[in-house]
This record gives sequence, structure tokens and C-alpha cells, in this order.
Amino acid sequence: MHSRKFRLCSYLLVTALAWAGPGASHHSFSPFEDEVQIVLSGTVTSFQWTNPHIYIELDAADENGDIKNWLIECANTTILNRVGWKWNMIKPGDEILAIVAPLRNGEPAGLLKRVRLPDGAEHGNGGPAGPASIDFDGNPLPGADRGGER
Amino acid sequence: MPKSVTPRVVAMIALLAAPAMFAQETSQLRGLNGSWERWPSRSAGLGSDAAPPPVDLNIAPIPEPPLRPEYLDDWRAERAEIQRLTEQGLPPANNYSACIGDGMPAMMQGMFPMEVLETPGQITIIQEAYNQVRRIYFDDELPPAEDAEPRFAGHSVGRWEGDTLVVDTVGVKDYVEFQNVPHSHLMRINERLRLVGDDYMVNEVTIVDPEFLTAPWTWTWAYLRWPEYKIQEYICENNRYFRDPELGYQRLRVD
Repeated sequence: MHSRKFRLCSYLLVTALAWAGPGASHHSFSPFEDEVQIVLSGTVTSFQWTNPHIYIELDAADENGDIKNWLIECANTTILNRVGWKWNMIKPGDEILAIVAPLRNGEPAGLLKRVRLPDGAEHGNGGPAGPASIDFDGNPLPGADRGGER
Repeated sequence: MPKSVTPRVVAMIALLAAPAMFAQETSQLRGLNGSWERWPSRSAGLGSDAAPPPVDLNIAPIPEPPLRPEYLDDWRAERAEIQRLTEQGLPPANNYSACIGDGMPAMMQGMFPMEVLETPGQITIIQEAYNQVRRIYFDDELPPAEDAEPRFAGHSVGRWEGDTLVVDTVGVKDYVEFQNVPHSHLMRINERLRLVGDDYMVNEVTIVDPEFLTAPWTWTWAYLRWPEYKIQEYICENNRYFRDPELGYQRLRVD
């Protein structure tokens, strides 16, 4: 499904249920527009297993076919170890899909909601980051799964 | 008394024995050892994700601080402004966004699990977030608050009152604020920690500050035991957040 390098990503703008979880992170997530989630498809250029956040850098094409390098913020090493991630599960060159809440200021960066890896495995981003409100085809998830949020 | 056992020898034996007796007193394990997650504020990935044993701890929300009137209005205005800006997507920069840990007392309800280590004469508490460490000494005296070197965790001494661990802390840095509440160098934090059954621990926290507070500020925090958890490393090595020079909010460096 994402075997072609630099496959055109679909910018799927979907209004989702606002999520108001407990503040429990390195910083407030409010610079990210949680109500507008998009699906990015592209090639990993960097996977930084670091604190205070893990970052994926992803080359993804916009609707005009222009490649942008997106910065995708993930939770942190200790949260994601606890929910089943592994430090080496993503590598440069991997073709992945990522549902993100983009920055409000328009810069190419977003907060990860859910990721699908080349082998089809899917992972959420821990409770504090909030759940995906769309699926990987961009369809809204009514009464969205809260990504493990209790 | 035989001549060989002189008063000097007796005194030496007493001197040698006293620390050992004292250490025995303070090193007695009281069941706090191990990993704990905060309770009841939980979310996937913050803690164990396990169904907790039933308990009724009656943990109430933290009350408004009894600040002196000349500070209370400013504090309320600051809190409201932080909330307003955060809702607009412009949360003001703070210690966290600069990769600076909680310090006391907030590190006692840090976002990640904490580890309690009971050793002779000392209890050490490690909060996973920011690798924060505090050391509570039993064979020590608290420095006078006005003379205590300012630190994030301050200086702490402990004692047992029955099954309750009582800890007093002074010397917290001025800009280490809990819930944006200002404090002076005379602030003192008193904690009373005790087990509730085998699985829970509560911490009654009381803050006094003659310069800023009109009365003690008190609340209770709780913890759920997580015996099998091993605290992880947390070094803030890749902080992409900075204070926006114009708007002052927590801005992400994207390039």
C-alpha cells in the first residue's frame, strides 16, 4: 500500500472530537491542532529515540507532489517502552503511514496519533498524546478509540 | 569494674555502638521499597496500565493556596492567563519546556513512576521523569531555611513516627514553583507518608511559608505499588522546544 517511494500523501482534513485528556507530558500539546488530523505517507529519514520526545522525520509529498520533510513528535522513550514500542522498530528508509495532528502555525510538523509500519503493525502514541480521530484511509472514527486512554 | 575496662573504653564502645544502634533504628525496612506509580491520575503509558486493587482513599483535589491577599489576585490572574493562552495553542514557556524537572514538592507526583530505596540512615526517591533524585537523611539535621543552599529537591531529613515516615524539607529554589505558587526561601515542606494496605501509599503534604502564605497549604497525594517495574533512564538530550521570542509560547523547532 505504501511500497512506492514518496507516494503522494493524502491530506485528509477531518474534524474530530476534541480530546481533553489530563496534562501529563513534557509540555502542553495545544500548539498541535487536535481537531484537524491528517494522514501522512512517506519515507522515514530519521528516527530519534530520545527524550523529552521521540521524533520521526518523514519525507512526504503534498497534494502537488512536492516533498516536504515532516517532523513527527512522539511521546518519549519511557512511555513508549511501556506501551510496546521498541527503540529500533523504525529505521531510515521505512515506508510508513502516520496519523498526526499538525502544528497550528502551518509548519510541517505534527503530533503522532497512530503509526503503521511496513510490516503492517500499528502503534498508538500513549495516553497523554490522545487518540487518532481518523483511520489510515482518512475516514473519521465515530466515538474514536481513545488509543488506550482510560 | 576491672581495671582494664576504663571509663574511656566504655565511652569508646558507646561511641562505636551508638551509630550502629541508630542505623539499625533508621534502616528498619518499613515496606516502602520499590516502584510506585502515581494514583489516581493515570493514562496509557504513564504507569502500569493494570487494573488496580479496590481502594477508597478519598483523594480530594488540591485546594487553592492560602496566599496572602497581595499575592492571591496575581496568582489567580496568572493561572487564568496560562489557561487562556494554552487553549489558544500558545502555552507559555515554563520549566518543563526548558527541560527543567519538577523539584519539590511536584516531583512527588511526577508524571512517571518513582522508586523508593530504603538504606541505612537514608531513603532515596527517584522520579523517572528527568532522572530526579531526592535524598532523605535520618542521621542529619535540617539546615536553617534561611541558610540552606537552594536546590531543586531542597534538603530533607526524615524520621519514623510509628509506621509514618515524616519528612521535612527546606531550601527549594525560588523559581521551582508548584502550580505557579510563589514561595520564599523560608518555605518548609512537611510530608507524612504511610502505607495503606500492601498496594497503596499516601503522602500528606503541608507547606508553610511565613512570607507568602497565611496558613498551611495541605493536600494528599497517593501512589499505587508497581513491584515489577524497573525505572528507566530519562535524559533530556533532544529538546526541540524554545520560548518564542515574540509571543513567549512553547514553540517547536521544526528544521
